[in-house]
Amino acid sequence: MQLATAKPKPTPPAYRRFLRDYGWAYLFILAPVLLFLVFTLYPVISAFIMSFQKYNIMKSKWIGFDNYTYMFQDDIFWKSIKNTVIFTLATVPINIIITFILAFFIFQMKSRWQTFFKATLYLPSVASGVTISLVWLAMFDPTSSGLLNTFLGWFGIDPVIWLGQSKTALFSLILMSYLGSHGSGIILYLAAMGGIPKSLYEAADIDHASGWTQFTKITWPLLKPTTLYLLVTGVITSFQVFISVYMMTQGGPNFATTTIAYLIYESAFVFYDFGLASAQSFVLAAFIIIVSVVQFKFFSSDVEY
Amino acid sequence: MARVVFNNVRKEFVDEKKGTFTAVENSEFVIEDKEFVVFVGPSGCGKTTSLRMIAGLERQTSGDIIIGDRIVNDLHPKDRDIAMVFQDYALYPHMTIRENLSFGLKNLKKSKAEIEQQVKQASSILGLDELLERKPRELSGGQRQRVAVGRAIVRNPQVFLFDEPLSNLDAKLRIQMRVELAELHKRLGATIVYVTHDQVEAMTLGERIVVMSNGIIQQIAPPTELYNKPNNMFVAGFIGSPAMNFMDATIENGKAFVEGAQIALPQAVADGLKSYEGKKIIVGIRPEHLYGEEFAHTVSKEHTMDVTVQVIENLGADNLLYFKVGSRMVTARVHPETIARLGERKRLVIDISKLHFFDPETTQRIALS
Repeated sequence: MQLATAKPKPTPPAYRRFLRDYGWAYLFILAPVLLFLVFTLYPVISAFIMSFQKYNIMKSKWIGFDNYTYMFQDDIFWKSIKNTVIFTLATVPINIIITFILAFFIFQMKSRWQTFFKATLYLPSVASGVTISLVWLAMFDPTSSGLLNTFLGWFGIDPVIWLGQSKTALFSLILMSYLGSHGSGIILYLAAMGGIPKSLYEAADIDHASGWTQFTKITWPLLKPTTLYLLVTGVITSFQVFISVYMMTQGGPNFATTTIAYLIYESAFVFYDFGLASAQSFVLAAFIIIVSVVQFKFFSSDVEY
Repeated sequence: MARVVFNNVRKEFVDEKKGTFTAVENSEFVIEDKEFVVFVGPSGCGKTTSLRMIAGLERQTSGDIIIGDRIVNDLHPKDRDIAMVFQDYALYPHMTIRENLSFGLKNLKKSKAEIEQQVKQASSILGLDELLERKPRELSGGQRQRVAVGRAIVRNPQVFLFDEPLSNLDAKLRIQMRVELAELHKRLGATIVYVTHDQVEAMTLGERIVVMSNGIIQQIAPPTELYNKPNNMFVAGFIGSPAMNFMDATIENGKAFVEGAQIALPQAVADGLKSYEGKKIIVGIRPEHLYGEEFAHTVSKEHTMDVTVQVIENLGADNLLYFKVGSRMVTARVHPETIARLGERKRLVIDISKLHFFDPETTQRIALS
């Protein structure tokens, strides 16, 4: 009897084996990569190209550095930069201090009170910026029945036109920021404070360190990474401040509250000059990158808690 | 240096939900000047709480703590003139080793020259000279441990407190550091209170050992006394590895009847157990005091027991034989060439001079004299 011998299966080509082994993995990776390419990388590249064009939806015209030249010669652009820098310098450090102080006191509380304050202070973070701005518009009501003016009235101070005059408009937006959302920063600080081992403070107690020394030599340095994170994200967020300006002052009066983000919006969606808006966006991006790098260089710490 | 005294010290922790928990119950002891005392016991026995009360990191609920000549009940940790090495070392991660060592001295407002000199002295004792500019994360576990010790010795305190300082090290490094700590004690001549759950560490380091369980001090004694004359079944079982074997026995006519053996007791022992005649007692014997018949050269072969071997563990230097006596599992540590097979009967020789007797009701050692 003749025995049937099984034919050896031919080895599939390498690309087939690769697809069989890793195909699904790459398919899953493809989805976010495509989203990134279409909705992030492509818009960035096309905005960069647009910044060298006189944009027209039908046919754009290449104008080289004209948008940039115009922008740097425009007084309103420099005014918006100045306003943005003032807003950032006035809000970010003070907001970090306020956040830190609140977190420090909440950290001393019992667990249930910690939860209460964390939830309460985080609440504004989940509210929309538009809603919060509308509330503040009511608070900044320039008549004597406005909330802040009523408060000033108790001390015999005349009503202030908070948002309607150049000298107080930007200050009003800054004030709004101070009393706004510290919730996420507080949660980060509380987590970082909770991560510092108790034994460090006990060792410091034995090492004759006073409460102040423990704060300056242990707590503050070990919270540096959190502070740096809040500083960098705070600066980026305040460079991009838009909603409150749009909702409350529209950049006025007399450009007193025009920030760079609001200027970009105006260039693009009020004057439909998308080329100029793109150029302004890239200057803002460059500015944010430079400031972030400088902050990392000066404040970065390799110890994380 | 100074002595440490606990006068009827009690510590309770109050939890709103779980109620009151007594961590240390009416603790009384004296640690003499320059003595190395080790607190040992299982987790939650109150040893660390006792140490933290000496440090002032916990306030006792009642009783007095004396360091040197002072009652320190209400003194802040910094005013007790103690230094502590923590289990996790508690090194300040953002400071260099030099800054870690000098932190306490700076807080004491010592002069720069004095700080420099004391740091130098401590670093040379502990071999840290090369590491002074590094940060803790750049150091190995053993080096960090040394820095933690350095931070303690740099201030030259009256009492050193060590809270399980070797528990984070691997086995080899732990042995090395154990030797270094013993040498350091000799060198400094300091009063040291040391907490560990490792009985080998306790036996090798301590001049006296305080064995604790459930917040109560079970026995305070030098290592050999703990090993040879444990006060109760807890101490007997805790000290020694493998742990002491316990067997249920009945005393009749000067003999101890255990399953598989009747042990004729020496007259002095039989006399001591007279009041237990006809009653049940617990007989304790350490695994190393049971011998394979063929290697029982040093003891009389008069007293034997026949057992069925259930498990054999080869440790190289010894073999551990496991077998059941009644309902209790018993271990014998025998010569590695002892002939024993799983499931087969084996005759073991008992060194009756090393027997321990415990009251089954109180679990206390029965005094024979």
